[in-house]
Amino acid sequence: MNKALIIAKREYRAAVRTKGFIITILLLPLFMGGGLLVFTLFKDKVDTADKKIAVIDYSGQFREDLIASAESFNAATALNEKGQKTSPSYFFEFVDPDINDPESQKLDLSNRVRNKQLHAFVQIGKNVIHPQPDDDQSRIFYYAESSAIDNVRSWFSNIVNTKIREIRIVELGIDNERVKDLFYWVNAEAMGLVNIDTKTGKVSDARRTNELQTILVPYILLLLMFMMLMMSAVPLLTTVMEEKTERIAEVLLGSVTPWEFMTGKIIGSLGVSLTTSAIYVAGALFTLNRMNMSDLIPYDILPWFFVYMILDIIMIGSIMAALGAVCNDSKDAQAMQFPAMLPIILPLFLMMPIILNPLSNMAVGCSLFPLWTPMLMLLRQSTSVTIPLWQPVVGLIGVVLFTVLCVWAGARIFRSAIILQGKRPKFGTLMRYILKG
Amino acid sequence: MSIIELENITKSYENHVAVDDLSLQVPKGSIYGFIGPNGSGKTTTIRMIMNILYPDKGKILISGKEHTGSRYENIGYLPEERGLYRKMKVKELISFYGELKNMSKPGKETDYWIERFDLVKWAGKKVETLSKGMTQKVQFIITIISRPEIIILDEPFSGLDPVNTEIIREVILDLRNNGATVLFSTHDMAVAEKMCDFIFMIYKGRKVLDGTLENIQKKYGQDTIRIQTEGGIRVLEGVPGIEKTNDFGQTQEVRMSPGTDPQKILSIIMDKTRVTKYEIASPSLNDIFIRIARPEKEQDHE
Repeated sequence: MNKALIIAKREYRAAVRTKGFIITILLLPLFMGGGLLVFTLFKDKVDTADKKIAVIDYSGQFREDLIASAESFNAATALNEKGQKTSPSYFFEFVDPDINDPESQKLDLSNRVRNKQLHAFVQIGKNVIHPQPDDDQSRIFYYAESSAIDNVRSWFSNIVNTKIREIRIVELGIDNERVKDLFYWVNAEAMGLVNIDTKTGKVSDARRTNELQTILVPYILLLLMFMMLMMSAVPLLTTVMEEKTERIAEVLLGSVTPWEFMTGKIIGSLGVSLTTSAIYVAGALFTLNRMNMSDLIPYDILPWFFVYMILDIIMIGSIMAALGAVCNDSKDAQAMQFPAMLPIILPLFLMMPIILNPLSNMAVGCSLFPLWTPMLMLLRQSTSVTIPLWQPVVGLIGVVLFTVLCVWAGARIFRSAIILQGKRPKFGTLMRYILKG
Repeated sequence: MSIIELENITKSYENHVAVDDLSLQVPKGSIYGFIGPNGSGKTTTIRMIMNILYPDKGKILISGKEHTGSRYENIGYLPEERGLYRKMKVKELISFYGELKNMSKPGKETDYWIERFDLVKWAGKKVETLSKGMTQKVQFIITIISRPEIIILDEPFSGLDPVNTEIIREVILDLRNNGATVLFSTHDMAVAEKMCDFIFMIYKGRKVLDGTLENIQKKYGQDTIRIQTEGGIRVLEGVPGIEKTNDFGQTQEVRMSPGTDPQKILSIIMDKTRVTKYEIASPSLNDIFIRIARPEKEQDHE
């Protein structure tokens, strides 16, 4: 084992001393930090160009309200305390409907939008106050180059619908004070479940949950696990192949057993992953604490994360090292890499359905499949839903047993194939290596 | 006393028998030369001694003990095709292999060998910056860094220039004089003749020669004449009693038919030309090698 550790030390040093490692370590926080920085820098850099919107109002009900709303919007938001313009001003141009040739009118207005004379134009049907099904005159159409994602559309829609509601209320003869009560909206707030505090023994308040906790935390933990596998376990395939083809392996085998060689490489890779993940986790804890967002930190899940990660890297690392030993050149390695990576990639496709329904039969079944347990059980555990305790326990036992099996089978293939040159062994030969050694 | 003993070992790859019922005793403190044509089973035998491959049948004893599953600490091994971690620095790499040989502080020994092989200027450089000759020196150093009791070298002189060959030859002899047993394979018969106490030839997986050069040559008798004449190879044509002629330019080597009188051959040649050298000798190792390996090759071609 001592020799395995010497090899592990070399592997670890060789990996962490490279520029690639430092770049990888810095890249994720840089991307995240960079994203925040870009958001901060550009959040105030909105498009402040004035926007003119043409309105064809078949109902004739909205002219005054639209003008008044635009004026009040422009007065309230157009200038900040420094007198700088922070948002666009809205202006309306009211166009009389062309009853004889409405399509030509819309084409003309569309051309004006294309020529940047208008930002958009809107057609308000004459029956919008009391709409009828399947009636174009009961609808409002907003025409613009990016109408689906245009913020002006929702602003406009709000003004018109507020006016429509006012007209309907007046028609019904309801008192204005009662109207306020009528429209008071009571939201259902997202809460976690109530627990007993282990320190005090009292019932603790339920935690308020949000989308960030429900989706972002599992998402980040799963991606971190995936990154660690891609960073340390998967490259074992190519590094072992290179050591074999460059005839480094046989020199090493003069001093160490194939078992020591393989375990040394896996332990070295594990060290790299532990270093990287520890840096990321410590960085995340520090940042979230500084931002007063410590509620987001899943302290109870972190030990599981590290246990699953260690087992997953040993498991996948053994498979990759064995496959690397089978390859005779980089073409072999390329051909083998994608199928070998599939078991790691597939859980990513199951991520969203499992986050949305962590207790579904599919979620339970997939997370108990040992090859996926480290990623998918972790994903389920990190959602706000309580997973029955037996599931992570059974999953963990399965992973431990499967890891032992992978290491045993991987070592047998590794030992048999590492110095063999020539044709790549077929599946049957690999099975023979596993069964007969 | 034998330090390496092979007892009836056999190794097959699918349908091909690479080593067939091979037995061998390597005396302690000797230089043992492995010769044989390509694909004859030399490397497979060496790998089995190193425990990298396991024999299908038979036993291998090192210092009288059979080992399975673990590497021998007291053997230095230089494989035929050897690679190094190209991104590692020379000194760091040698120390790494020293550690793998259970050396607690390989630094001092590393410095000694780096100096002896004139690599001081390159000690801090990456392996990828070394020339082929320097790389081979580093490969040799990592084999002997722990001053092992047994040194196994598969084609140690392959690709080396005469200067580096001489340096490595000197070190091998030094190590032997300090008690190490050296077993090496080579295609260079002259090196084997000059360096080896014992020569072993394997052919098609089976042992065909084993013993001292003198004993091997005795087996073939004094059936060889080395001759230098003014007439060269032409004057040997048609001389009765000459079975085979090897022309080396200035010298010709002649194999006599059994029972031929070398004096008769000499007198026939002297009638044709002036003879400047005439030596009755045992066949060279090279000739013996060819005598064993060539008939089969010729048959193979047919």
